[in-house]
Amino acid sequence: MHTRVLHQSLWALLLWPHLFAVSAPLDCRDDPASLARCPSISQEKLLDRVIHHAELIYRVSEESCSLFEEMFIPLPLRLQTNQGGYACITKSLPIPSSKSEIQQLSDKWLLHSVLLLVQSWIEPLVYLQMTLDRYDHAPDMLLNKTKWVSEKLISLEQGVVVLMKKMLDEGTMTTAYSEQGAFQYDVQLDILESIMRDYTLLTCFKKDAHKMETFLKLLKCRQTDKYNCA
Amino acid sequence: MMKNDGGVILFWLLLLFTLYARGKSYSVPGKPTLTRCRSPEKETFTCWWEPSSDGGLPTTYKLYYRKEDSDVEYECQDYRTGGKNSCFFNKNYTSIWVNYNITIVAINALGQTFSDPVDIDVYYIVEPNPPENLNVTIQNDKGWPFLRASWDPPKKADTRSGWITLIYELRIKLEEEDEWEIRDVGQQKVFNIYGLQSEGTYVVQIRCRPDHGFWSEWSADVQVKVPNYLRRNRSTWIMIIVFSAVVFLILSWLLHINSRNLKHCLLPPVPGPKIKGFDKKLHKSGKSLDAFKSLDVPDFPHHTFSKSEDLLVEFIEVYVPEEQELMLEKSNDLHDGCLKSESSVSDCDSGRGSCDSHTLLLDKSGQQTDTQDSQIDEQRLGEDLQDEKLSYAHQDMVSPDMSAGRVKTWPSVFSPLPQNRSTSADQASSLEMAKQHCLSDSLLPSEFLTSYHSLSGHGTRDHLGSNYWEFNFGNKRPNLTQPQTEARHQAHSEINIFTTGVKAEPTALKFPTPRSSDYVEVQRVNEEDSIVLRPVGSNYDKHFEIQQGEEYSRVKGVDSDNVLLLLQKEAMEEEMDMCPCEQLSGTTEAHYTKFSTSPEKPTAYTHPTPQPLEERVVNGYVDTATMFTMPPY
Repeated sequence: MHTRVLHQSLWALLLWPHLFAVSAPLDCRDDPASLARCPSISQEKLLDRVIHHAELIYRVSEESCSLFEEMFIPLPLRLQTNQGGYACITKSLPIPSSKSEIQQLSDKWLLHSVLLLVQSWIEPLVYLQMTLDRYDHAPDMLLNKTKWVSEKLISLEQGVVVLMKKMLDEGTMTTAYSEQGAFQYDVQLDILESIMRDYTLLTCFKKDAHKMETFLKLLKCRQTDKYNCA
Repeated sequence: MMKNDGGVILFWLLLLFTLYARGKSYSVPGKPTLTRCRSPEKETFTCWWEPSSDGGLPTTYKLYYRKEDSDVEYECQDYRTGGKNSCFFNKNYTSIWVNYNITIVAINALGQTFSDPVDIDVYYIVEPNPPENLNVTIQNDKGWPFLRASWDPPKKADTRSGWITLIYELRIKLEEEDEWEIRDVGQQKVFNIYGLQSEGTYVVQIRCRPDHGFWSEWSADVQVKVPNYLRRNRSTWIMIIVFSAVVFLILSWLLHINSRNLKHCLLPPVPGPKIKGFDKKLHKSGKSLDAFKSLDVPDFPHHTFSKSEDLLVEFIEVYVPEEQELMLEKSNDLHDGCLKSESSVSDCDSGRGSCDSHTLLLDKSGQQTDTQDSQIDEQRLGEDLQDEKLSYAHQDMVSPDMSAGRVKTWPSVFSPLPQNRSTSADQASSLEMAKQHCLSDSLLPSEFLTSYHSLSGHGTRDHLGSNYWEFNFGNKRPNLTQPQTEARHQAHSEINIFTTGVKAEPTALKFPTPRSSDYVEVQRVNEEDSIVLRPVGSNYDKHFEIQQGEEYSRVKGVDSDNVLLLLQKEAMEEEMDMCPCEQLSGTTEAHYTKFSTSPEKPTAYTHPTPQPLEERVVNGYVDTATMFTMPPY
């Protein structure tokens, strides 16, 4: 502690001429040529980036799902995600699904919902990645996509957190979200059931990714035109 | 711990000391600057800095950064991957959501110097790697080759998922040139280049850029050689040359053949003056008088010029529908005034000087009153035509119902009577008649000559020397139709009315030479369809009229031979009828003057032949004035 204080005091002594240099806020310029930037990214830009992120995630997840479907799911069994007991893991989350409900949400709750979704999917996707590796004939493209999605999801979480901080002036919301426990990593299922579970996972994630994107776009719409958003 | 603290304190004290000590040449390092930060794929980024003076001592550099949302200072983890004076941020340390605040510190034994902090937004510092696998091939497009360039995006850029969107730019030049030609490609990965130089060697490069970011470096050169494709063109050129040579030969041959015409077309000859009888040589020789004398036409009535008589322009347009269309120009006396008057009056006929308008007729009257002068015409024009007496005939005069065709009457024939006219009533009516007459002129066949012998015994009439007479008959059309028709169809030119000049002496009964051109004016058409003629004299007065009354004949009619029957004066007194069916009361036909309207007989002859008439007939002109006496009206 002493050393620390000493360090800092000495730093302060040395750096006293420069103390004022950093504190001056710079002009926000969007000029990519110069290195000096705004001290912080504007809220609009942040929202745009988050939306862009969510769009990409949705697109890739859609591609992964269709890829998986073609490879592993026989025709009669397709589009039966909610059957066989493999409900979406996020079903229990307090997230509205209908349009009217969504419209009633405030900005704050929209963001919270998005964050909730994102955070709840991080782990399952990691798990999916592991299971897909175990497949015999899983194509590389599928693996790459799922990997990409899981990475981007983490990034999205960070972005939403920053956005929340900016928009709502809230502190970082820790992931005080408990696992639903729908994941049974250890359960050894037979191949067919395993495949179906993974398939269910992918389709559910696809839907939720679309939800995230929709929420964020609605948020953006409300930023610009409050009364005309659907 | 204490030892460490002591060592550190000592170290810092030394630093402080050296900071303010003016050493020999050692100093703290200069201020480094962060030159650039780049992210190749928006997932990692690297920053480079530029060190300044190192103060003579070994200097180390450190990079510290802070994320926007926290005050925690982090130090760069990777100083090697980016090369010298660089710091590499890998994926775990790169966030696209926050700005980075980066500071470089230069440290040497004497001190450290901080650079200016810089804010970095990863989104805006993306500079992708150059595109890869640039491949340029030659495609043959029907003998005209073109280049096709294809490439791949840089490996690290994730364009597939849409994470980065890249646009490309291609540049090309001939090997020996210096200037590049740049082409924008967009997001596609294939591009065609046309318009190549035969047997040229081209160099192609490609680069890319994200939406918000920097251009990448140019890729490596790709060279390609264009084959020779002009061999075929050479034969084409030969064909073109041969063809154009042939065309040129043909054109020159055509030109040669038509050289004269062409010359005439391009350089039209200047028309020389063409005056009949004009001798250029005489004129050139300076004897203009002689030259002009040569212009004399035998029939030209010079004396009238000298007297400046009112030679009315006798414009009679004769229109023969079936046979001939005779256009009557002016009379032998060409007077400017007449011409002027002609031109000044509106024509019923297209352009032909006819006494179409009453103005012309009135002009004549003006002229009559003021004879002697061609300027009379001008006066006439100016005069109030309403006042003019028109010696026309009568209301019976011409009617439009007369057959179709144009009748021209000689203006003189219709020229108004002199002012001292007996009947004023006639004047008004005459004017009307004149109008009518003029109008009907256009309608009636031109053959008709209307000449009236005025029974009023007015002065001499001026007869128009012209080729025809046109006679208009008055009301009694049915009677006259026949003879009229006959007369019409005859050429009028035959009948020449001799114009006698207006005598200076109105009283003189004598008329000038047969050559004189006196005008006869139609005073009126009386009720028997007889034309009342009277001469247009300059000094026309009643007295004169009376005295010269005998000089006028009345046209009795036109007989079956298309002969105009004129009555002698005595006969006229008795109001003879004109037409064959008309008989002047008590008159005999002895004094008829017969005017033939047949083309074959241009001369008029009297019937039953007063001899003197024949004498007067010269060149088809009949001087009625001399032959007939005007019955006093």
